[in-house]
Amino acid sequence: MISRPLALRLLAFAALVALIGLAFWSQSAAFASTGNLRSLMRHMSVQGLAALGLTFVIVVRHFDLSFPGVASMGAMTLGWLIAAGMPLPVAIGGGLAVGLAFGLVNGFAVARLGLPDIVTTIGTGGLAIGFSYFYSNGTSISQNFFMSGILDLNDRKIAGLDMPFAILMGAALVGAILLHASRLGAGFYATGQNTVSARFSGVPTRRLIVVAFALSGIMACLAITLLVASSGAANVTAGNQLLMPAFAAVYLGAALFGRPSIGATLAGTLLMSMMLNGFTLLAIPYYYSDAIVSTVLITAIAIFDPRVSALLRRGAPRRKGEPV
Amino acid sequence: MAEGTRTVLDMRGIEKRFGDVKALDNVGFNLIAGEIHALLGVNGAGKSTLIKILSGVYTKDEGRIEIGGEAFDLGSPRAAIEAGIAVVQQHPELVGDLSGAENIYLGHEGTRPGLFARIDRSDLAARAEALLARFPIDVDLSRRVADMPAVDREIVAILHALRLENARILILDEPTSTLTEREKASLFAMMRMLKAAGIAIIYITHRLEEVYEIADRFTVFRGGRNVACHTVAEAQATGLSIPNLMLGTGGGLAFPPRATTPAGAPVLAVDGLSCDGMFRDVSFTACKGEILGIFGLVGSGVDELSKALFGVFRPDRGQIRLHGKPVTLRSPAQALRSGIFLVPGDRRTEGLTLDENVIFNTTVANLGRASFGGLLRFGANRRHTRALAEKVDLQPMRLDRTLRGFSGGNQQKVVIAKGLYRQAQAYIFVEPTVGVDIGARTKIYALMREIARDAAVIVISSDCDEVHGVADRTLALYKGAPVGSASRDTSRDHLLHAGIMGGIAA
Repeated sequence: MISRPLALRLLAFAALVALIGLAFWSQSAAFASTGNLRSLMRHMSVQGLAALGLTFVIVVRHFDLSFPGVASMGAMTLGWLIAAGMPLPVAIGGGLAVGLAFGLVNGFAVARLGLPDIVTTIGTGGLAIGFSYFYSNGTSISQNFFMSGILDLNDRKIAGLDMPFAILMGAALVGAILLHASRLGAGFYATGQNTVSARFSGVPTRRLIVVAFALSGIMACLAITLLVASSGAANVTAGNQLLMPAFAAVYLGAALFGRPSIGATLAGTLLMSMMLNGFTLLAIPYYYSDAIVSTVLITAIAIFDPRVSALLRRGAPRRKGEPV
Repeated sequence: MAEGTRTVLDMRGIEKRFGDVKALDNVGFNLIAGEIHALLGVNGAGKSTLIKILSGVYTKDEGRIEIGGEAFDLGSPRAAIEAGIAVVQQHPELVGDLSGAENIYLGHEGTRPGLFARIDRSDLAARAEALLARFPIDVDLSRRVADMPAVDREIVAILHALRLENARILILDEPTSTLTEREKASLFAMMRMLKAAGIAIIYITHRLEEVYEIADRFTVFRGGRNVACHTVAEAQATGLSIPNLMLGTGGGLAFPPRATTPAGAPVLAVDGLSCDGMFRDVSFTACKGEILGIFGLVGSGVDELSKALFGVFRPDRGQIRLHGKPVTLRSPAQALRSGIFLVPGDRRTEGLTLDENVIFNTTVANLGRASFGGLLRFGANRRHTRALAEKVDLQPMRLDRTLRGFSGGNQQKVVIAKGLYRQAQAYIFVEPTVGVDIGARTKIYALMREIARDAAVIVISSDCDEVHGVADRTLALYKGAPVGSASRDTSRDHLLHAGIMGGIAA
């Protein structure tokens, strides 16, 4: 990977934010309004939580394509428990437990059984979508929502911040400590960059891969909890909108900052949310923004993938002893 | 076609500066058609800068380059290729799924006319055959490269470099580092053939014995200058010491003094250890205070033995005892917890995380010590890493640089620092100086001796001189079976014969 000083990378990020911001602001003055910025931050919270979870899986160099389906099932579980009159903490815990369970299954299948991650997680994701229809045959659930207090997750404020954004910040802080300041995080990076050397260093690589998938599942379900709280209903298709922006955020961040990290993912999420929010504001249909997110994702992969970046700097002196 | 002393390459007064540093200082270098010319020097001596100028990767600041009597500027890799210079990188990049012939002409395949521009396979095969007719080497170019032995891959890389008719200078950068003795012999056979065909070969190596074996002349670089150029015959006749020329000091490949005190308590003992298809009936005892050497060629089972001692492979029979107690090593993690540390034979894939910095790599094998309550102790880790980096003499002393930015010798020093941070009781070094220059080698041997003061050290290597020079007791492994027992005064020749032929000749 091309390594540039951090200051330069931050500058590039700030320039991108300014560029995108100014572009939308010049088209619609409402972009910079307090109301819009708050809704942007809300949107960012949901996408950001899912992307944060995915970051761990990407750091250990695996793929999780199951989290949108798992999130849908988490949403339906949450809705069903609320409708059944369960206390809110139990309902939320139930939703997150779905994420944990599927994450453990993914991790076990990939790390212990050695199954290919992409196909396996497509499968488990499909399984989760199937299960999410069991609760209500596919109709959305909203009974008891007003009484349960779940809407407060969206409406309340903490220290002047909207609750969803405060939750994202809290999760990012915990995630940053976990990934960048703990032995667990060092193990994640060691596993991802060179599994053999990590194993020879006594790092429990398989266990860490399981933990990464579990974190991805839990975070996806936490993200969907906020989405359910903001829309006031649980929906079998709730998770569908998570996949592309989460991958785009992680890869865009990694492309900007040279490697996947919590900070990089937050930066990527901000850029993605600004774009999606801006397009919505300009009344561009959502299907176009899907195409744009996908383009951003592919571009980010192109920059992040060392093979591609090697092609980009062809002609520059190849470093001695660089692996194939 | 090679007439005695036709000069094909003449470089004069070459200078190259990087900022204030003169990487090459008024250097001259010449090459005669049909000679094998070894280019020697410790890392940083300037030999790779010279090669990069020759291959058009760097441009020279001063000087004149003549190829076949004609002045060339070599401003780009393309210009170098057109001038007839062929380079084989240290780790040649080949496409494993393609055949040898397809790799040789990768990007230059002829196509059949038509909409799909299909690759003309008969043309490809014919051209490969023509190339083999020029250099009659026994290699099956229709095989997938991934299925080929390492030496055939090297040959494919060389043929790839020589695919153009006009190639007359071939640069080989440490081609033998991954080859076994037998494979090395077939590579040398090929080099002699190229030489007979009039191709001049610049041969870079760290293994000095190879210079006497294959080269006609050698040039030694030190500190960016050409300090010596002799024919090998001349050097042999006058007893010239190449290590002295390379290091510029009196010392050559200095092995540290042997243990003066008798060996201490047994640490790691192995009894009748067997791993089917890899090695069998291996027994030895490694004691605190001494270095035990095991000599074995690639394929003799030594690498597998080291991994069985580290919990990677489970032995089928036999016993491993630590401090007298039998242990079953289920994983590297458990081996580490038991006090065994492996400096693996392939440091790039097994020993290091190349995209992380020195601190990460030093502490990663002992994250328990590197953290408190699960959180990393950044300050303490940097302090400990600095102390260890000073101890192993890391150069440059840049703790925040990723491992990719260090030379082979310094990468190996980081692996040793990682082992020291682990504070193990038994250290197993496998091929500890492959791809390591002489200066760093001497340091690594000294470190082994120092480690052996408080721990048992086992050195496993396919370099007989290394095993004999550094170890107090030695044994050899031949085709998976031990030859002789670990004794104190096995002669070098005895050990060499045991490891190469399985017999006690000489």
